Amino acid sequence: MSTFSFRTRPKASEEKSLAISHLSKAVTVNGVLDTDGEVRIHGHVQGRVNAERIVIAAGGSVEGDVVATDAFIEGRLNGRIFALNVTLESSAEITGRVFHNTITVARGARIDARMPWRPPNYFETLDQLPETRE
Amino acid sequence: MTMFNRTDKPADTSAPDTARVQTPTLAPEPVRPQPVSQPVTSAARSSSTGVSLISRALKITGQLESTEDIRIDGEVDGDVRGVSVTVGNGAKVKGTVYGDAVELAGTVDGKIEAKKVVLTGTARMTGDVVHQDIKIESGAYIDGHLKPEFGKSDGRSKTASTPKPVEVKQPV
Repeated sequence: MSTFSFRTRPKASEEKSLAISHLSKAVTVNGVLDTDGEVRIHGHVQGRVNAERIVIAAGGSVEGDVVATDAFIEGRLNGRIFALNVTLESSAEITGRVFHNTITVARGARIDARMPWRPPNYFETLDQLPETRE
Repeated sequence: MTMFNRTDKPADTSAPDTARVQTPTLAPEPVRPQPVSQPVTSAARSSSTGVSLISRALKITGQLESTEDIRIDGEVDGDVRGVSVTVGNGAKVKGTVYGDAVELAGTVDGKIEAKKVVLTGTARMTGDVVHQDIKIESGAYIDGHLKPEFGKSDGRSKTASTPKPVEVKQPV
């Protein structure tokens, strides 16, 4: 049993229990999602997402800008990410830009994006997103 | 006597052996293949289908559509379309709620169009309710018309015609 006691890492991320919203794969949202909790997207979102933590699950997709503290991407994103901590899983497909402070990219992730690093304070002042300079 | 019977039984199957067998089966049970990366992954995968939940903290500005069930505890500024839609206590929808079955315990400012409508005691409905079957609990607030016309203007249900209460509401 003592072997399982090194479960500290999951605990650290669980400690702030956020209100979790969940959009199943049958869901389509056309508009803005705004929450100070967590949102898990298995369906399709066209628009902006503001959240403390966003999960785009495998099969899920977002077309638009994502602003979060933690972004965890397994699905598709066409747009921009503004997140302090970004995790791109191997099934992720990203097109656009990934503004981050720390980033993890799994082998196999398909990324067609610029990934600019930004200092932490950059993410605190994101009321107005920068213009796209495509 | 019963006490003796109980003690006898384990003795027959040789108690220490079973105890030994059980402990190892119990121990490996908490196998957690989780410490791969983050707990989110497994949690997110496990709930890829089923009810969608708009939590209390979430506000959606725009349209929300699903071919499955939706539960709203937060706020939606726009239309909602689902199969079974539940607007929870404290939730707010500004727009039209379409569905097969709609249960309202929160606030809707707009319209409800559903085959089956339930307005609970905490419901606050401002606008019309188009329904085929409605239940209103004591305490519900309704400011609008109730029209038993669901599916009437709809071509598909006209052809599939179930007996409709033709203009029942007017004599009322």
